[in-house]
Order: sequence, then C-alpha cells, then structure tokens
Amino acid sequence: MKTEDVIIINNNEIASEIWEMEFLAPKISSNYKGAGQFIQIQLDPGWGNPLRRPMSIASCRDSKISIIYKIFGQGTKILSQKISGDVLNVLGPLGNSFQYKKNNLNILVGGGVGLAPIINLWKELDELRDNSYLIIGAKTKNEHIHSHNPDEHIYLTTDDGSMGLPGTVMEALKVVYENVKSSEVFACGPEPMLKQIQSFVIKNNIPAQLSVESYMGCGVGICQGCIISRRNYKNKNHSYHKKYSLVCVDGPIYSAGDVIFD
Amino acid sequence: MDLFIQQEMLSLIDMSIKIGKVLFKNPIITASGTFGYGTEVSSLVNVSKFGGIVTKSITLNPREGNPPPRIVETPSGMLNSIGLANIGVDQYISKKIPLYSTIGTNIIMNIAGTTVNEYIEIIKKVESVSSNIVGYEINISCPNVKRGGMEFGIDCDLTEKLTESLRKITERLLIVKLSPNVTNIASIAQSAEKAGADAVSAINTVVGMSIDIHKQKSKVYTKLSGLSGPAIRPIGIASVHKIFQAIDIPIIGIGGITCGNDVLEYILAGASAVQVGTSNYRDPGIALSMIEEIKLYGEKYIISSISDIVGVVSSNTK
Ligand SMILES: Cc1cc2nc3c(=O)[nH]c(=O)nc-3n(C[C@H](O)[C@H](O)[C@H](O)COP(=O)(O)OP(=O)(O)OC[C@H]3O[C@@H](n4cnc5c(N)ncnc54)[C@H](O)[C@@H]3O)c2cc1C
Ligand SMILES: Cc1cc2nc3c(=O)[nH]c(=O)nc-3n(C[C@H](O)[C@H](O)[C@H](O)COP(=O)(O)O)c2cc1C
Repeated sequence: MKTEDVIIINNNEIASEIWEMEFLAPKISSNYKGAGQFIQIQLDPGWGNPLRRPMSIASCRDSKISIIYKIFGQGTKILSQKISGDVLNVLGPLGNSFQYKKNNLNILVGGGVGLAPIINLWKELDELRDNSYLIIGAKTKNEHIHSHNPDEHIYLTTDDGSMGLPGTVMEALKVVYENVKSSEVFACGPEPMLKQIQSFVIKNNIPAQLSVESYMGCGVGICQGCIISRRNYKNKNHSYHKKYSLVCVDGPIYSAGDVIFD
Repeated sequence: MDLFIQQEMLSLIDMSIKIGKVLFKNPIITASGTFGYGTEVSSLVNVSKFGGIVTKSITLNPREGNPPPRIVETPSGMLNSIGLANIGVDQYISKKIPLYSTIGTNIIMNIAGTTVNEYIEIIKKVESVSSNIVGYEINISCPNVKRGGMEFGIDCDLTEKLTESLRKITERLLIVKLSPNVTNIASIAQSAEKAGADAVSAINTVVGMSIDIHKQKSKVYTKLSGLSGPAIRPIGIASVHKIFQAIDIPIIGIGGITCGNDVLEYILAGASAVQVGTSNYRDPGIALSMIEEIKLYGEKYIISSISDIVGVVSSNTK
C-alpha cells in the first residue's frame, strides 16, 4: 500500500451516468494483487470532502489503473469533472482479492457499478482462457457497456427489459446455473442484490465470493469505521472482532456464508 | 560567520519537548483512535519520526463496538461512533506490546473504563509486565459509550478521585484527556492537576449529529456521535487557551490539526505538544510533513526551541 499522486489519462462517460477514469499509477500498480482490490481517492487537497472515496480497481496493467464509477453525490461529481492531466492523490492497493480456481465453471455477477471488480476478474480469467460466465445487470440498456451475447457467455439483464433478459441478475443467474451447474459464483453490486445471491448460493450449496461495500474512513484499519456483521470468526491480523469485520482490511471480498447483511 | 554556517545554525530549532520525565523528539503525536495500535501502517509510514503515538482506547474486556454505520463525513470534519471497539487489555499485552520493542517512538496507552476500579485494574495489569510504554492517557471523555467515561469527564470531583487513584499505582506519565462537552473545561483540568496528573490533553470529540433527510434516519447508528476534524479546531484552540491560564502542568492540544501552521496555533495558545487525529485518515504520514513545516517556521522567526513559544499568545492576555 502506497499513497501516490496519479496523473489522469482519460475520464469519460461510458454509459448513462457511468464513468471510466484511467490514470498512471506506477507505485500502486506494482503492489497490485488482483481483481477485487480497491483504492482510496482523495477528492481535493482542501477539506470540502474530508474522507477519501473507495473505488474498486477495474483494470491494472502497464502502470495504469482504471476505475468505473457512478455519480452518487458530491464526491463522484467532482471526480467526473476531472480532466486528462489532472492529478489525484490515491492510496492503494487496498483489501483482498477474489480467489478463484482455474478451469472451474465460474459465474461472475455484477450489478450497477458493482461491475468494476467483476469486469476486472472477467478479464483476468479470460487471459487464463477460463470458461467463465459473465452476468451484468442494470436498470435500462443505456447503463450497459457490453452487448448481450450468450454465445460468448455474456448475459445482460435490464429491469425494464430494454436489453438482454428482463428482470434482475437473479433471472440470468438461475438460467446460467441451470445450464452449467457452476462450481463458484463471484458477485459485486448493491446490497439487496448480494443478499439475494447469498440466499441462492446457500440454498444450492455452491461456494460464492461477494465483494461488499460499507462507508469507509481510512481504508487501512486504523479508524474501525467500515464494519460489516460477520458470521464466522477467523482471527485476522487487524480485524480481531467476532461480531464485526473491517471491510477495508478483511474484505472487501467475503465468502457468502461469512457475512450478514443487516 | 560564513552565511552557510549561519543558516545551518538557524535551521536547528530544537523540536524536543518534555512532559513529566519523558522526552519527546518532537511535539507531534498521533491521537487515540486515529492510528490504531500504532503498528498497522508501519509499511506505509516511518512512525519512528513521530513524537509519539497514542493507542486506541483499551478497556478491561474486549469490546465489539457499536453497530454500523459508525462514521459519516461532515463539513470540514466527520462524525464517529465507534463505541471503543478494542481487543481488551489482556490481548493488548500479549499481542501488541511486544511489537513496540522496535517501534522507535514513544507509545502512550489510552485507557477507558466505566468505574474507577476498571481503570485501576487495566493499569495494574500493564504495570505487571515489562514494556516500553511511556505512559497512560486517561480517556474520561468518550461520548459514545452509554455507561462510559462521561460521568468522570463532566465532574471535577470524579476526575480528581480517578486521577488520584491512578497516580498511586504508576510512576509512568499520566495524562488526563478532557472533553469539550462541559461547562468549564479549565476547572476539570485543575482537578486533574491537583490529583497529580503530569499533563492534560484536550480536546476529545464534540457531540454532534447528522440526519439523512431522505431516509429520515440519523446517519450514524447511535444518533449522537463525536465531531472531529478542522470543524472543531477553534474549539480546541479556545480550550487550550482557557486551560493554559488555569494550570501549570503541560497541555497537549488536540482538534482539527491538518498542517504545521495548525500545530503552531495550538502551541502559541499554550500547548506543549499536540495530537493529530482525523488528518491521519487522509494521509497516515501527514504528521511527518508537519514536522518539516515547523522547522521552516523556526528558521523564519529565529526560534531556538519550540518550547520558547508555548503559550505566547495566551500569556499576553492573562
Ligand atoms: C470497497 C469499495 C469499493 C467501491 N467501488 C466502487 C466502484 O468501483 N465504483 C463506484 O461507483 N462506487 C464504488 N464504491 C462506492 C463509492 O465509494 C461511493 O459511491 C462514493 O464514495 C460516493 O461518494 P459521493 O461523494 O459521490 O457520495 P455522497 O454524496 O458522499 O454519498 C452518497 C452515498 O455514497 C456512499 N458513500 C459516501 N461516502 C462514502 C465512503 N467514504 N465510503 C463508502 N461509501 C460512501 C453512501 O452510501 C452515501 O449515502 C465502492 C465502495 C467501497 C466500500
Ligand atoms: C474514528 C475516531 C475514533 C476515536 N477513538 C478515540 C478513542 O478510542 N479514545 C479517545 O480518547 N479518543 C478517540 N478519538 C478522539 C481523537 O483522539 C481526538 O481527540 C479527536 O478526534 C479530535 O482530534 P482531530 O480533530 O484531530 O481528529 C477518536 C476520534 C475518531 C475520529
């Protein structure tokens, strides 16, 4: 983990309200462990927005890192106004990464901006010529950056049925699972989605890794702010708690059976 | 004298300070709860350059802390209600104290309790093992625990009784950490001084609250929580100013410090040293740049020792 002043290369709206930013970050890239890790971005040197904003790494190669983000409030709005050449102070890489087995039939599920770490994992597995399945959900087709292409194992869903399968990612997950009886599910997205995936994988007795979000302070385990309720207790280096786990150092990736969504 | 040599000499502001019998290499210490147990970010920051590190509050038994959400950003600051989540004194002794042998800076253990006996028991346990902890900071002011320190922190007699009891069982540095959520912070400081404290530190967080108008819910689970960051700096400075006029033991200034200039503001108000809290979350190495900034100030105004300017502004108005 390092703090680094990174130089923005690109910052573009790639779908409705969804942005992709790429920057040069040689120090952070050199410590990168894999899809699922995140960074903490300082929005401005002043104290208008005191806390850094956590963002999953969407890609990391050749000293370049990209993120995919949605404008939620003031902080992400500020990010969207940055232009190529601007400098941001970034802390990372932070947290753990997805642990997969090569040649498994992995199903990857991303909802909303939860697609960032999922796409990253998809690319990582693709390089290993892994036979994975990708499911991405959005409200409408304007929010999608892929094409629905079941032949290529890419399944899109939209709440309004304007693209791919109508409904949520759960519809696609059921279809894909029926066909392939996957060996592991990897998911990131809003909490209601993760909750449904959690009950689905527990019911079908398949392992799953979920990337969770929580309101984050420091990102390095010193403020104890970003907790999630945990079911299983494993003694981790920083997060010693039984009932709670610090998402920044134990997570953001958890086995589906390990966390409780309140 | 050769100009070069002259400049070299001018830049040698003595940054060291003494609190009680303990020497600190510089006056910049990290604040309790904002730097973990002091060992988490050692791969990121050279903590041996800090004046010292105050640990997260340690209690007699381990505490899980409060349910989420525990923190939220506010204008120029943040609210927190961590609820004293910590490993408890026994695990602190077995797992953390051994890590301090090579840390290279002064470790101050912050302790919190709900009764005088709890505080006593914690200190006795630590005193019974060998460690290089230089002292204790007594949290009598944490606003987040229902049956917690608040009763001590708002009452002169209780503060005196607690400090007196702890003074009897340790020779190490004893610092009483004061709450701003009181009518007269200077009188609480006087009670701590009277009972034998080596120093007081001020301030802990200011009670605050923030509401999500869409969910019609408090943004922090416990509703009331503690405000920190630059938003509270003027309250901290005013508190140090008032305390400086009331007591003779050293004051450690806390609240909203973000840079060397903020440190100097506290020192001029009467602080002998300072603690940096919320700023560590933006940059865990922020204290290091403050040290450099103060050296430059020392050069500019030809100050030979940082202790020469302690309370300059507050004594003027006495
Ligand atoms: C590990 C992790 C990875 C993430 N990855 C991504 C990603 O790849 N793409 C993406 O778009 N978003 C991601 N997020 C969420 C993102 O951090 C928030 O959307 C962002 O902080 C909102 O900031 P804002 O100022 O725009 O919103 P605000 O106006 O501050 O608040 C809007 C909402 O955003 C959330 N939020 C605000 N501050 C924080 C914070 N410090 N930590 C967490 N949540 C916060 C809160 O739920 C709040 O209600 C991730 C969060 C975590 C914890
Ligand atoms: C997340 C958080 C946790 C804290 N935990 C403790 C604690 O355990 N014990 C304590 O005495 N003070 C605690 N504090 C208070 C700080 O030590 C400090 O007094 C306060 O934050 C003001 O300084 P600042 O504005 O520089 O942050 C905590 C503060 C924050 C922000």
